[in-house]
Formats: sequence, C-alpha cells, structure tokens
Amino acid sequence: MSDARLRRVQKEIRDCAKDKTSQISLEMIDENPFHLIGAFPGPPDTPYEGGYYEVDIVVPDAYPFQPVKMKFITKVYHPNISSASGAICLDILKDAWSPVLTLKSTLISLQSLLCDPVPNDPQDAEVAKHFLTDRQSFNATAKHWAQAYAQAPARKQAQVSGKVATDAEMAGLSEESVKGFTEMGFPREKVIQVLKRLNYRGNVVNTMPMDTVMEALLS
Amino acid sequence: MSSDGEDYYYEDDYDEGSMDQDSPVSEGMSEPDIVYDVMSPTADEPAPKKPYDVSYKVRTLQEIINMQSKEVRKIQTLLEMPASTATILLRHYQWNSEKLQEQFWNDPAAALLSAGLSPPVSPSTRTGPLPPSPSLLISPRRPTRSSHNPALSPVKRSRAPQPSGPFECPVCCMEFAKEDVVKETFALGCRHRFCRGCWAEYLTGKIRSEGESSRIQCMESGCERIVREEIIDELVPAGVSKRYHNLLNMAFVADAPNLRWCPHPDCEYIIECTQAPPRMLNQLVPTVECNCGRQLCFGCGYLSSHRPVLCKIVRLWERKCADDSETANWLQANTKECSKCQSTIEKNGGCNHMTCKKCKYEFCWVCMGPWSEHGTSWYQCNRFDEKSGVNARDAQAKSRASLERYLHYFNRWANHEHSAKLDAEFYKNTEKKMEQMQNSGNLSWIEVQFAKQAVETVIKARITLKWSYCMAFYLKRNNMTELFEDNQRDLERAVENLGFALEQNIEPDSIAQLRQDITNQTAYVQKRHEILMDDTLKGYLERRWDFSVDI
Repeated sequence: MSDARLRRVQKEIRDCAKDKTSQISLEMIDENPFHLIGAFPGPPDTPYEGGYYEVDIVVPDAYPFQPVKMKFITKVYHPNISSASGAICLDILKDAWSPVLTLKSTLISLQSLLCDPVPNDPQDAEVAKHFLTDRQSFNATAKHWAQAYAQAPARKQAQVSGKVATDAEMAGLSEESVKGFTEMGFPREKVIQVLKRLNYRGNVVNTMPMDTVMEALLS
Repeated sequence: MSSDGEDYYYEDDYDEGSMDQDSPVSEGMSEPDIVYDVMSPTADEPAPKKPYDVSYKVRTLQEIINMQSKEVRKIQTLLEMPASTATILLRHYQWNSEKLQEQFWNDPAAALLSAGLSPPVSPSTRTGPLPPSPSLLISPRRPTRSSHNPALSPVKRSRAPQPSGPFECPVCCMEFAKEDVVKETFALGCRHRFCRGCWAEYLTGKIRSEGESSRIQCMESGCERIVREEIIDELVPAGVSKRYHNLLNMAFVADAPNLRWCPHPDCEYIIECTQAPPRMLNQLVPTVECNCGRQLCFGCGYLSSHRPVLCKIVRLWERKCADDSETANWLQANTKECSKCQSTIEKNGGCNHMTCKKCKYEFCWVCMGPWSEHGTSWYQCNRFDEKSGVNARDAQAKSRASLERYLHYFNRWANHEHSAKLDAEFYKNTEKKMEQMQNSGNLSWIEVQFAKQAVETVIKARITLKWSYCMAFYLKRNNMTELFEDNQRDLERAVENLGFALEQNIEPDSIAQLRQDITNQTAYVQKRHEILMDDTLKGYLERRWDFSVDI
C-alpha cells in the first residue's frame, strides 16, 4: 500500500498547489513527501488574525488509514495547543480520523480550531484556565504571542511606537500584580512563572489568599 | 473445601437464581471416608452445595455464539427486522434487550440512528452519486419497514442507474474504469464509495491494530453508519475475519455481567454465573473451576482461588505488596538524613551524638543541629521541647510496630506462595516415588494414588494458608480473629507434618506403614482445610468479620 500512500500524498500536494483560494500551503522538507510543513494565516476576527502559522506534518506509514501527525512549529497561545511543544489536541488527529480527510482539510480544521477553542478538553491546562477566567486578558495575550511569534503585522506598529509586549504581558499577567511581588524581593522570572501557574488573573487576584501565593513563591 | 469434587453443582437452567440458602449444609459430615478413595464417584457428581458457594456453568465458545443468536432471533421476531439489524441494535444496547425494546418502541428512528443504522446523510463527497454495489443488494438489508421507521423511508432502495463514468477512489486516488466500478469498488447504504482495496485495508487496520469490532463505521468522515458483519466478512481476508468474530464474542462476554472468560492462557471456556454480581462480592468469594481444570475467581478474574479472602481485600493486598511504600515507610520510621551531606543514616544504638560516617559531620540525633552547639550538656539535647521529643519517639515506635506487623504477615504469605511454586517439582518427585513403589512393593496403580492425592491436598491447603495471612493482616483484633488464627495454626501444622511425611525415603518394607500414615494425615489436612474454609466463608454471610478497611 505504500505506493498508494505516495500517490495520494503527491496528489494532495499537487491539488493544494493548484488551489489558490484556501491560502493553505504545503511544502516538502528535503524533497521528502512524507515530512512536510503546512502553513496557513490566522483566521480573521480572532487574536490570531494576521499571524502566519506553520505546522510540522509527518505522514505515517499506514496513511491514510492512520491519522497524520501534526504539531505547531509556530508558538500559539491557545487552550488546545501546548504552549511549550506545539502539540495539538484535536479529535480528528486521533480517534475521529477518517481516511477521506486530507492534509489540506486537516490544516483547515486546525485553522478553525483557532477560531473555536475547546477549553473543556485542554492540551495546555494553564492556558485553558486563563481562557476561562478572563477572556479579554486571554485575547490580549494570544495577540501578543501572534505578534511576537507569528509575525502578526501589529508587531511592526508596536515597534514603531516603541511598545513591545513585556514578559508579563506575554504571560497574560498584569504588570501591576507582577510588580507587587517583585517589590518584595522575589525574582521577576519566578514571580511570572508562579503567577502563571496559579492563574493569577481577573477575579482570582481578589479572591486568592495572599498566603497561597507566598507559599508558592517560597517553595 | 475438600480437595476432591468441588462444592458446586451444575445448574441446568439459566435463570436469575438468587443465593441458594436452603441447600443442606452437611455440617458434621464425616470426611475421611471419601478421601482414600480416589475413584470415588463424587468427583463427577454434584457435591452438596455450601451456602457460600455459587452455582455456575462452564460454557464453550459455541454456546456463547448460540446465546447471541438466540437473543438476535428474539429481537428479530419481536421487532420484525432482519437478523443483521437486530444484531447491530443489540450490540449497541450492550445486549440489554429490555432497554433496546423500550427505546425502539419509543422512537424507532432514533434507536436505529444511535446504533449507526442511519439513513444516508451524504456529506459532500464525490462518492455520493454512485449506486450501491450489487454485493450490498444481496446482503441482508437494513430495516425498511417504512411504516415503523419514518427516518428510513427516504431511502428508496430502487436500483440506481449504473455508474455513468470512471471513478476515482478518494482514499488511494486510483482510477477505475466505468465497467470496473461495480466489481472493484463498494459503498454502504450511505453511498460513500471507495475501492475494495481501501476498504480491506481500513477494516483490517480497525480490527487488527485498534481491536474494534461492533463499532466500525463507514470510512467517510463524520458518517456513523456501522459496517455490517457480513460485509466485513466479504471484504477482509479470512484471518482478519476470524479475529473480528473473536472480538465480537469478547465484547459480548465483556458486556454481560454474568459471563467471564477463563483468564488462563490457551483456555477458551467462558464461565456463566448469575449469583455473584458485584454487590455480593462483600460477602462472597465466587471461586469456580473451569473445564480446563484450573480455578479462577469469578468476581475479579484472579488466576487462582483466593479463598477465603474477599476480592477487594486481595486487591488491597496486592497493591500494598506491589508498590514500594513499605520500604519508604521503613526509611521514614528508622532513618534520618545527615544535615550536611544528606546520607541516609539508621541509628541502631548508642547516644544522640552522631558522627556521619561519610562526611564526619557531628550532630545531635534529636534536634539534628550541630553537636558543637550543645556545649557541655552532652547526651541530653535541651534545645528540643521535651514533649515533642517524646511524641517523635512515639510516632517512630508506632510506625516501626506497624511495619513489623506487615512484615510478619507478608513473610508468611510469601512463604506459602513460594512453596506453591515449588509444587511442580514436588509433584515430579512424588510421581517418581509412586513408580518406585509400583515396581518394588507389589502395589497396584490404584493403591499408590494416595501419594498424588496427598500432594494435591498439600498444594490446595497451602494456597488457602497463603491467603489466610492476607486475611489476618486486615482483620481487627478480637475474639473472632483469634478463633480464625487458631484454625489457621491447626491447618498450618497439619500441612507441614504431611509435607514432611511425603519427603520420607521409601523403604520396601515400610511402604504399608507409610501409606497408612500419609493417608491418615491427608484426611486430617483435608478436614482442617474444610473447617477453616467453611468457618471463614460462612463468617462473611454472618457478618462476623471485622476488617480494618472498608469493604
């Protein structure tokens, strides 16, 4: 069946190259049709708008009867995508895979995953918590990430105006809360790491006992 | 439990029998007279049932298949549908025919839909317009009693026109000429068409790698149509089809609370037992014997008898013994770490002035501070609150005692476990001896069976003894527990004596004496075994045992 796999992948690459409307690109790595890089623009009206997302694609031996392996190369701030490794939690990449799905249709599914996060089935629990606690702040962080890692155009404007996202903003934390603890003498990096883990955002800032934060900072 | 005929009988009727409480319990039944006689017919006859025994039947795979067909026929007649539809529905409702009927009469369309017998939903695929292949038309069809199933009525099974052009399989991108389409490709009732090669590959992957059986759906994304048994058989190679049917049977047994596969390797029997539902497992130990000759627990699938211990206690014990928590407990109870180099130190005597062997650091064992700060108040740390010092020592003593208690039971448990493993060898030796006896001492084959009988008795008793230590570990200390331990001690003594006698050298002139001796001792062990088992298992029913854990 391996010639069927090759025939199918080659056809998929050809079709994708022909199709100009979907804006999905599919490139082989080192002429290897079974290891590719897919890319698509961030969907409009989302924090990812304007970004350009690259995905590492490995076509398994049993393709198309086994799902393709995909993970984000571009860093994404999204509940279903690991902020560290780019691993993706999506049903069609696992048990809901069907042999009629193609690389292109799967990439389109990833694009729509960016539009509609599923925070109740998260890949990245910290990001999902942020998403559920304070949507506005989540959107801002996702946008910062899009600008910093996915070349979203806003970045250039920000640089022009001399405003680059701070490390606190990149972690979705308010400068105010971070400062509150750095002024006590804790290193900034540690404060950001701990507050991120504790989901110190939105209403949590008011409800979480100070001791809990201090304990985490001291441990 | 005696070692000959087991205490079960074969119940002929398959019914929801409850615990058979009224069967005669032969309390004072004289045991010894049956144990000599290996040819005793008791092995084949149903033995009188004890209140703690369960009735069960050993089924063959064929019987399991027949059971399924019977259910299918019932539903088929009741709901007036083809057998294959009834089968898919039953599998979907996990063979719960009451639930199936209820839901079906409530809303036939919804019931069929949820079971994957949907009418064509036809997502936008190129495969849509082609007609179903002839093979589908001959295969048993899904229900088309449109009066019953309004959801299915739009599916007119009219002969669609022949394919009008060449067809490209959307999975492997192979093109098929117009005249080959019918022969080389295939579509389910949902009309998602693919080539047969891809179907075979897909189904084989589902069956072989994913172990799926009753829930294999159409290849189309989002199409929930179930692929029928006959179609799978037609499309996949024979080996895969065999595996598929195995998986179906496995799913059937797994779904049925009254069935369990014999867990022993290479055994294909299935045990059917209606008397040991999970809620009864806090007072029953449903040990059963498969036709392969090996025992198992129907309640938890344990590979041998774990009588007289309840399934839940066995699980607790196994977990306790498996993890290393006791090692950690010991370390915690008996050691501290050098506050300089972190070496683990056990204090096995002497004063509180410690010198680390590794880094030569001198410190106080009580407060763990440097010894130099203790000034002249040697051998008495006054930096530490006296009361907390006492508490710490108490805690340490307690932990140590609990550890010793565990080790006491564990060592005995493990010892019997080990002895049971040596049984194979023991058995061989005994067989050799029996041969010797037949050769040297004019004894017939029948007459030397006493040794085999004795070995079997010892093995069985050892397994019970092993578990009795697990039981004792979890029992609270009270009078009942003491009685239990008395029984345990008597059995253990009897077993060790018999084991010793069996290992004696056989002299031609003393064979008769030895035979008499061993036969008597065997009878005694059997009796003690019976007593321990009887008393313990009845104790559950009488709620006599008080455990230190929740059951």
